[in-house]
Amino acid sequence: MADRSEEAFTWSEGWHPVSMKLITARRIALLLVYLLVVAGVIALFVVPVIPSVFAWIGLGVAVVVFVWLWWLIGRRVRSFGYAERADDLLVTSGILFRRLVIVPYGRMQLVDVKAGPIDRMLGVTTVQLHTAAATTDASIPGLEPDNAAALRDRLARRGEERTAGL
Amino acid sequence: MTSPEPSNIGDDLGLGLQLPGHGTVDERGRRRLHPISPLVHGASFLPFGIIILFAFGGGAFTRLGLGLVGAALLGGVILAILVAGWQYLVWRNTWYWFDEDGDFRVDSGVLTKQQRRLQLSRLQTVDVTQPLVARLFSMSEVSIEVAGTHDSRVKLRFLTLAEGRALRNAVLARAAGLRADTVEAPEAPITKVPPNELGLSLLMRTTTAMLLLLTVLIVVTSFMTGGWGSVGLALITGGLPVFLVVVEFMRYFDFTVSESPDGLRLHFGLAKRETRTVPPGRVQSIEIVEPLLWRWRSWVRVKVNIAGVGGQDSGGNKEETLLLPVATRDVAIDVIGRVLPGIDLASLDWHPAPSRARRRSPIQGSRLAVAWDDSVFATRRGLVTRRMAVIPHVRTQSVRLTQGPWERVLDLASVHVDTTPGPVHVVGLHLDAATARAVADDEVVRAAAGRRGDRSTRWAADQ
Repeated sequence: MADRSEEAFTWSEGWHPVSMKLITARRIALLLVYLLVVAGVIALFVVPVIPSVFAWIGLGVAVVVFVWLWWLIGRRVRSFGYAERADDLLVTSGILFRRLVIVPYGRMQLVDVKAGPIDRMLGVTTVQLHTAAATTDASIPGLEPDNAAALRDRLARRGEERTAGL
Repeated sequence: MTSPEPSNIGDDLGLGLQLPGHGTVDERGRRRLHPISPLVHGASFLPFGIIILFAFGGGAFTRLGLGLVGAALLGGVILAILVAGWQYLVWRNTWYWFDEDGDFRVDSGVLTKQQRRLQLSRLQTVDVTQPLVARLFSMSEVSIEVAGTHDSRVKLRFLTLAEGRALRNAVLARAAGLRADTVEAPEAPITKVPPNELGLSLLMRTTTAMLLLLTVLIVVTSFMTGGWGSVGLALITGGLPVFLVVVEFMRYFDFTVSESPDGLRLHFGLAKRETRTVPPGRVQSIEIVEPLLWRWRSWVRVKVNIAGVGGQDSGGNKEETLLLPVATRDVAIDVIGRVLPGIDLASLDWHPAPSRARRRSPIQGSRLAVAWDDSVFATRRGLVTRRMAVIPHVRTQSVRLTQGPWERVLDLASVHVDTTPGPVHVVGLHLDAATARAVADDEVVRAAAGRRGDRSTRWAADQ
């Protein structure tokens, strides 16, 4: 049964995964967030009024959540994919909450290309498509910068060819 | 725009004053707002001091003494003078005109100069409204909205009602691709919502009716048990819905729908009379809402998404998105047919969600369905309050397929057809996953076919 569902969210030909470097980028971001968490856990041990049982529980929870997020990042990044069809772009993502967005080229209003500091260090870029609908939300993270720029130009060109009024 | 005609100022006050249309036009053909605009702005602030006094003085108003009331009045007058003075500067610096390209231009700003250019081919709506104070002076406010993501609206405050209407016609005529001196489009009334129908329907909305029933129960129980302790609670459960009903009643009082060549024109409001024009081809999607108790009168409410309207405006106010606050189904179908010509909701072929959808949504599961024909895509949901959303294929922005964990277990998925921001969400919930994908793919194809045949942006030029 799960297999049938799987089919509903993919496209057989020309399906591109995103760069695995995105996993590294997101894991680095996770580590940075965890610096704060570690500081918090240390505080639990140091502050005298807190019984050490709570500190140990805190440590345990932090470790379990960390391992889970670490694993989840890998799965989430692998779940991203996109395909350029003749008249539209398909983007799929998500594990627990799956989604597939189909954006006709003629409906694109603008294409954003953006990269945060960690992303730039590792060479991954996000391409995001906007239509007149706020709910469209089609973004493809984890593209190689050259690849992203090329994709943006291709999308913009196809958009211009097919542009329609509201 | 025709030359400004004389118009009566202060008709509603019965003063019998007559001011000529101001006719201030400079050498570049730029126009000014009406010269008494600063006074109208100022007058809105006159009661300010008294309101503050009421708000903070509360029930002790009578004990406050004449001196304090006088001070409050004086404070209001001073504030009004200051506001009027500032608005005089605003008035001096505000100009509007149509430029050579046929775009609408507004120059404004006292300290920071602003020059705006509205591309009328992207026009969404032109509204002439009469806020309470402006109404006393027979003045009107014109707001012009073009498609755009933010701040795509200008408000002109104030013009006489005749000037406001003339400007609206000029803007609409240019947007529709007609010559600018087209005479005012005649209006043919279609329907009017009677006050008793409006009032009754507002009371019969599901939550309101339930809260009122609860209030009656509370009062009756208190009466029978002899204790009056829960009357305070009754005041809240009864007072809040009644307050909201009164607010909506005043807002949509005397709701009139008429047809003009510019599009559908809506007039409504008790204290603040508003006028809205919905140009054909600008309606992005509609929703027909039927609360449980409305069904015995076969009443429905019709909501619409119009591009550029219906999100939050810059002031954070919820914008107008109703096409009809209440009407019988037949009237609603007729009105919908005028904004979305050629749609036939009666003969849609509904494809219901599979019976296992009831395990995901026990209540509305049996109502869920999607349908489509050559021109529209429609979805149905809600058991207590029935909702039917309709979007023309041409207006489809993008199509999404989503699946939550529980849907996944049941091999279900939901299809969303994205439209411009507004109250209408077109979503076919909990369909069979493979079917949902097929529906999504087909909808994309139908949308592309629809766009190729679309001619709605300059509708009147085609006629």
